[in-house]
Amino acid sequence: MALFEVFQTTFFLTLLSLRTYQSEVLAERVPLTPVSLKVSTNSARQSLHLQWTVQNLPYHQELKMVFQIQISRIETSNVIWVGNYSTTVKWNQVLHWSWESELPLECATHFVRIKSVVDDARFPEPNFWSNWSSWEEVSGKETSTERLKKPCKVTTPLSVQDSLGQDILFVFPKDKLVEEGANVTICYISRNIQNNVSCYWEGKQIYGEQLDPHVSVFHLSSVPFIRKTGADMYCEVSQGNVSTSIKGIVLFVSKVLEEPKDFSCETRDFKTLHCTWDPGVDTALGWSKQPSQSYTLFESFSGEKKLCTHQNWCNWQITQDSQETYNFTLIAENYLRKRSVNILFNLTHQVYPMNPFSVNFENVNATNAIMTWKVYSVKNNFTYLCQIEVYCEGKMKQQYNVSIKMNGEYFLSDLEPFTEYMARVRCAGASHFWKWSQWSGQNFTTLEAAPSEAPDVWRNVNSEPGSHIVTLFWKPLSKLHANGKILFYNVVVENLDKPSKSELHSVPAPAKSTKLTLDRHSYEIWVTANNSVGASPASIIVISADPENQEVEEERIADTEGRFSLSWKPQPGDVVGYVVDWCDHPQYTLCDLQWKNVGPNATSTVISTDAFRPGVRYNFRIYGLSTKRIACLLEKKTGYSQELAPSDNPHMLVDKLTSHSFTLSWKYYSTESQPGFIQGYHVYLKSKARQCHPRFERAVLTDGSECCKYKIDNPEEKALIVDNLKPKSVYEIFVTPFTSAGEGPNATFTKVTTPDEHSSMLIYILLPMSFCVLLIMIGCYLKSQWIKETCYPDIPDPYKSSILSLIKFKEKPHLTIMNVSDCIPDAIEVVSKPEGTKIQFRKSLTETELTKPNYLYLLPTEKNHSGPVPFICFENLTYNQATSDSGSCGHVPVPMKPPPSQLGLMISPENVKKALGKNYMNSLGEISAGGTNLNYVSQLASPMSGDKDSLPTNPVEPSNCSEYKRQMAVPLCLASPPLTENSSLSSITLLNPGEHYR
Amino acid sequence: MDSWYPRMAKPWDSWGMLACLCTVLWHLPAVPALNRTGDLGPGPSIQKTYDLTRYLEHQLRSLAGTYLNYLGPPFNEPDFNPPRLGAETLPRATVDLEVWRSLNDKLRLTQNYEAYSHLLCYLRGLNRQAATAELRRSLAHFCTSLQGLLGSIAGVMAALGYPLPQPLPGTEPTWTPGPAHSDFLQKMDDFWLLKELQTWLWRSAKDFNRLKKKMQPPAAAVTLHLGAHGF
Repeated sequence: MALFEVFQTTFFLTLLSLRTYQSEVLAERVPLTPVSLKVSTNSARQSLHLQWTVQNLPYHQELKMVFQIQISRIETSNVIWVGNYSTTVKWNQVLHWSWESELPLECATHFVRIKSVVDDARFPEPNFWSNWSSWEEVSGKETSTERLKKPCKVTTPLSVQDSLGQDILFVFPKDKLVEEGANVTICYISRNIQNNVSCYWEGKQIYGEQLDPHVSVFHLSSVPFIRKTGADMYCEVSQGNVSTSIKGIVLFVSKVLEEPKDFSCETRDFKTLHCTWDPGVDTALGWSKQPSQSYTLFESFSGEKKLCTHQNWCNWQITQDSQETYNFTLIAENYLRKRSVNILFNLTHQVYPMNPFSVNFENVNATNAIMTWKVYSVKNNFTYLCQIEVYCEGKMKQQYNVSIKMNGEYFLSDLEPFTEYMARVRCAGASHFWKWSQWSGQNFTTLEAAPSEAPDVWRNVNSEPGSHIVTLFWKPLSKLHANGKILFYNVVVENLDKPSKSELHSVPAPAKSTKLTLDRHSYEIWVTANNSVGASPASIIVISADPENQEVEEERIADTEGRFSLSWKPQPGDVVGYVVDWCDHPQYTLCDLQWKNVGPNATSTVISTDAFRPGVRYNFRIYGLSTKRIACLLEKKTGYSQELAPSDNPHMLVDKLTSHSFTLSWKYYSTESQPGFIQGYHVYLKSKARQCHPRFERAVLTDGSECCKYKIDNPEEKALIVDNLKPKSVYEIFVTPFTSAGEGPNATFTKVTTPDEHSSMLIYILLPMSFCVLLIMIGCYLKSQWIKETCYPDIPDPYKSSILSLIKFKEKPHLTIMNVSDCIPDAIEVVSKPEGTKIQFRKSLTETELTKPNYLYLLPTEKNHSGPVPFICFENLTYNQATSDSGSCGHVPVPMKPPPSQLGLMISPENVKKALGKNYMNSLGEISAGGTNLNYVSQLASPMSGDKDSLPTNPVEPSNCSEYKRQMAVPLCLASPPLTENSSLSSITLLNPGEHYR
Repeated sequence: MDSWYPRMAKPWDSWGMLACLCTVLWHLPAVPALNRTGDLGPGPSIQKTYDLTRYLEHQLRSLAGTYLNYLGPPFNEPDFNPPRLGAETLPRATVDLEVWRSLNDKLRLTQNYEAYSHLLCYLRGLNRQAATAELRRSLAHFCTSLQGLLGSIAGVMAALGYPLPQPLPGTEPTWTPGPAHSDFLQKMDDFWLLKELQTWLWRSAKDFNRLKKKMQPPAAAVTLHLGAHGF
C-alpha cells in the first residue's frame, strides 16, 4: 500500500511538472521574436553581417529555432533573397549570420528583416512563425552621398565613406581579388544623372544595365587572368572630349590554385625526410595583392606541422626512431583557396639509398673478374638490392642483380680478353623498391689471350721468268679475335714439289703485307698472327707452280652508284670458296688491294665501300679457291661506281685538206684513262652554210649557237673524213668524246679553211716546174765550168767568136790572133772610189801632191817607160761615168786617168779587208754608198772619154797601151789576205758600187 | 678665290699690328670676362645639368613605356589623358609662361631641386612595388640617374651661391599607399608621376638652357671692347 502511495505521488509530480513546462512554452510561443537586429557590412567581402538576439527565451534553456531572413534591394518590396537559418539558441545568446552579395553593397541600399520559429522536437506541431522584425536598411548610394552630411544609421566601414568625398562619380567595388573564372559585378554611381559616363574594361567600352538613374551595373562573367598587376575597369565623365572625372577599379584575377602534384617523401639516411611536389602555377599577384601560395606540411601521427620555405620541396626531420609510418598532408594555400594532398607511407619503403662507393675489381684475368663495392649502413639489417651493368665500348654487355647488406661482391664472367670494360652498380631498398641510387662505376681491362682466329690472307702473284713474285696481304684481326696487341705475323713457306726445309718469315705488326720471291714450284704458305700470349690459327694459301691464267676476258659492269654487283659462273669441281679482289685506288701505284671472301655456293656478291669514287675505273678479279687452297682466276670485271663525262677532249689533227674535204683524226686519244666508258665521239662542225652536210644533224651548243653534229658510235673509230665542203670556206670543227654521263668539256673549235679549187691545180703545175728548175739548177751547178767556158769564158776565145766566123766567112780566110800567153803584164792598176770619201779625197788630193799615176809596176826594169812599149794596163774606171752607164762590160772607150791619190790609204791591208768584207756581206741592191767593188776594165777603153769627176792630175797617156788588156777579177773571198803595196796580184780594181751602178 | 691667298702685310701694317697687340695685351687684365683665370664659373656645370636632363628624358621614354605596359590598359594607351585627380602631392611642372619667365635664377633652381627631390622619393616607392626584377632594375638605374641630376642641380646652386632648400619638418615626401588609396588610384598616381617627371625634364631642359645662355661669358662685349682698341 505504501509502495502504491509512493508511485501515485511520483506520477502526480511528473504530470504536474510536464503540465508546468507545457504551460510555460505555450506562454512564450508568441514572444520568441528576433530582436536587436543589427546589420553591418564588409565592403571587401561584399557581405552583410547580421546579429540579433531572441527575446523571451526561457532562462538556461536551449531551443532549436529556424530564422527566416529576407533581403530586399533598393526598396523593401524588392526582395532579392529569402533564406532560413537553423540553429540552437541559448538564453541571451547573440546570433550571427552573414550574407554575401554579388552586387557591391555600395551600389544600392539593402534592407534586411528576420523572423523565427521554434523547431524543437520537444514541441510538436503546430509551431508559429514570429512576426518579422522591422526592416534594417543598409544604404548604398544614399549613404555614399548623404552620409557625409548625416550620421549613418548602420555601421559601415570607414573606407567606403572616405572614398566618396565630393566626387561626382564612384565605381564599386573597390579593388577586388577574385579567382580566374569568377563572375564579378561592378557598378558606378553618378551624382548627376545628366553626366555622360562611359565605362571601359581593359580598354574596351562596356555597357551595363541601369539599376536606377544614378547607378549602372556591369556583369563581368568568367573573368580571365590577364596580368599580375590586375585588369582595370574604369568609368569617366566627359564633357565634350574632355574627361572631367575618372574612377576605376583594379580587378585582381588570381589563377586557380592547383593541387600539388607528385607529392612524395623519401629518406636517404633515416634522419631526414625529403618531400617534393610539383606546385603547379604560381598564383602570386602584383602590388602585394596576393603572394605566392604557401605550403605547409602536416604529419598527423605526430601532430607536427611545418611551414615550407620552398615552393616545391621541404625537409622533415625524423625525431623518433620508433616511428615507421608517416601520414603527411601537404596544404597549399593562397588568399582565395586552400588545397591539400595526403600520403601515408612506411619509412623503410621510401628509401633512396646513397650511392655505392669503393667499387673495385679483383682477380682480373682474360675472361673474368670479381667486382666489389660498398654501401652506407643506414639501418640494422637493411637489405639492398644492387644492380650491376657491364659495358664495353659504350654498349651494355651484361646485367646482374644481387642482394647485399653492406659489402657487395660479384663474379663477372664471359668477358672478352684484352678488353676495356666499365662496370657500374646502383642499389635500392630490397624489401620495397622505391628508387635506385645513382650509379657508381669503374673501368677495368681484361688480360690478353692468344688470337682466336686465323688472319684473312690473300695474295697477288706476278709471274716472272723462272720465279713468282708473291705479295701476301692480310687484314688485321678484329679486336674481338686479336685478344691482345698483335706483335708480329709469322709466314711459313713450304715447297710442295720437293721436300725442303720450310722458311719462316716474321713480319712485325702493323705490317699488312709481305713480298716473297718463289721459284716455279708449288708452295704452301701459312700465316699466323701472334700476340704476347700466343699465335692464332694459321691461314693457309697455296701458290701453284703454273702461272696465273691471264687470258680471261674482261667484262664491263654497268653503273651501280657506289656498289658493284658481281656475278660469275660457278667453277666446275670442288671449290671451298671464291675471292673477289680489286684495288681501292687503282690510279695509284700502291693501289690498296682489297678482297672479299665469298662462300662456295655463291655466284654473286655486291662490293660496296666508301673508297669508291665517281669517275674511277675499278677492276675486279674473281678467283675460285680449290680444295687445295689454290686460287684460279675465273673472271675479270671492270666498271665505274659512277661514270662521269670525259675529262678531256682528243687532240685533233686535220690532214688531207682539199677544197672539198679534209680528214680529222685523233688516233692518240686514250679511251681507257677516261672517267667513264667512252661510247663514241661527237663531231661538231660550224660553217656559214645554213644546212648541215649529209650525215650531220643540227645541234644547239650550250652557248646557244647552232652547228652540225655527227655522232661516231665506235670509240675506236678515231678518224672522220669531212667531205662535201665548199672551196675557199672556213669551217670550225670540234671533236668531243661522250660517255653515258655526257660529253667532254667545252673547248674551242678548230678553224679549217678549204683551199681554192684552182690552187690545187696550180700546185700540180708548179710542183713539176719547180722540180724541173731545180734539176736544171743542179745540172748547171754540176756543169758550171763547162757552161762558163761555153757561155761566158773569162777570156773569150777569139777563135770561137762569131765575129771571127763572120770575118772568116766574109773577108780573110787567115787571121792571126794573139795568144794571151804572149802578153806579159807589167802593171796592175788598183782603182778605188768610195763615194762617201769623195770630197775628202778631193781635198786630200789637193793637199797631197801626187804627180805620178798610181800604177804598180810589175816589171821593175821598166820603171820609166817613155817609149811605146807594149803592155797591158788596168785602168781606173772609177770616174768613168760612161762606163757605168753603158752597162756593158767592155768595148767602151775609157779614158786613161790618173790613179786616185788616196790609193795608198786604200790599199793598206786593213782598208782593203774592210772594204771587201763589207762588199761580201752586202747584196747588190744593198751596196752602201761608200762601198768598194771590183770592176773589170776593158782594155779597149777610149782614151778620149771624159770624166767629169776626174781630178786634175797628170793623166797617163794611153797611147802606148796595147789594144787588148788583160782583165782579172778578184773574188771577194780572196780579199782576205792582206794586201800590201808589194802584193803580187795581177790586177785589183776597187770601185765604188754606187758610182758604178748609177 | 683671292681671299684664299695670304696677302703680304705692308711694313707699316706690321708695325701697326704689333702696336695693337701690345695694347691688347696691356689691357687684357682689364677685360672682365677674362678676369677669372682658372675659374670657369657655373657655365660648364649648367651645361652638364642640361645634358643630364636630356639624357634622363631619353631614358625615361623607354622606362615609362615598360612601366605603363606593366600597369596595363588604359595607362599604356597613347591617347589616355585622364584628369589629374589625386596625385596632388606631386610637384606640378606646368606653369604659366609669364610666371616662368619672371622666375629668378634662385627660384628657378630651387623649384627644380624641390621637384626632383619629391619625384625621386615617389619613384623609389614605385621601385619597391614593382613586381618584376627587370622593371626594378630599370627603375633603380633611373633613380640613380635622377639622383645624379639632383646632385648636379645642387652643384649649380652652390656655384651660384644659393643655399639648398631645406625641407620643413614633417613635410618630407613619403610613399605610403595608405589603406584608403585604391589600387586604381595608385596606378593613376604612378601614371601621373611618370607624366609629371617627363614634364619636369622638359621644363628643366628649358630652365637650364635659359640659365646657360644667361651665364655665358659676354663674348660680344669682349669683341667690342677689343674693337675699341683699334681692331
